[in-house]
Amino acid sequence: MVFALTENQETLWQIANWAGLAVVVAVAALLTILVVLVRTIEHRVAGIKATLTEAEANTSDAALLNTTAAGVDLVLAEGLEHHLFLGRVLGKVRS
Amino acid sequence: MNSLVVFTVIDIVLLIAGLAIYLFIVGGQLTRVATGLEECNELVQKIKDNASSIEGNLEHINRTGRVIAGALPLLYGMAEGIVVGATYEAEKVPARGPALPASGRRRSRLHDGVGYLPDGPGKSAHAPLADQAESA
Repeated sequence: MVFALTENQETLWQIANWAGLAVVVAVAALLTILVVLVRTIEHRVAGIKATLTEAEANTSDAALLNTTAAGVDLVLAEGLEHHLFLGRVLGKVRS
Repeated sequence: MNSLVVFTVIDIVLLIAGLAIYLFIVGGQLTRVATGLEECNELVQKIKDNASSIEGNLEHINRTGRVIAGALPLLYGMAEGIVVGATYEAEKVPARGPALPASGRRRSRLHDGVGYLPDGPGKSAHAPLADQAESA
């Protein structure tokens, strides 16, 4: 099987080949940029994960606020006891 | 002619190989990014769960603290009223002489143990202060 091409056709084929090579190089460059950007995203996701880990450790003791609220209620109850005691004593002192 | 065919084949192979390599690299990177984002999502859920109880408890603490802060001046006023109205007088301590050491013969308890009560000078040998206390 013999392909018979004119000189003009061969020239166009060569141009198409060089254009294809240029496309390959361009695609490689663009994909390199894509890889670099995705690597940057990966590093920043790692940074976000570290920050979230610290935030989770900081908020893990927030459940103690419930205990603190109960303690403040006990302080209020004790203050009411003091109020009643002082009221009785004050009444006796004045009488 | 043949060189053109070979060059074309090389061109196509380069394109496919380059795409495959970059696809492999980017695929690995995106997999790691996805794993990291999943872990971030779990951490955010934990933080949300931890922070869900902060607001209610803080409002409770603030409300109770305001009540305590408002009641403390009342307690101060009552305590000051008690201090002003108190008429405390210290109890007078009676004057007494200096404590003297026990002198004389000490009464032996051996006789008491056997039921013998001698009548002698040591029958009532007690310490002077004890005597005063008994007489008083």
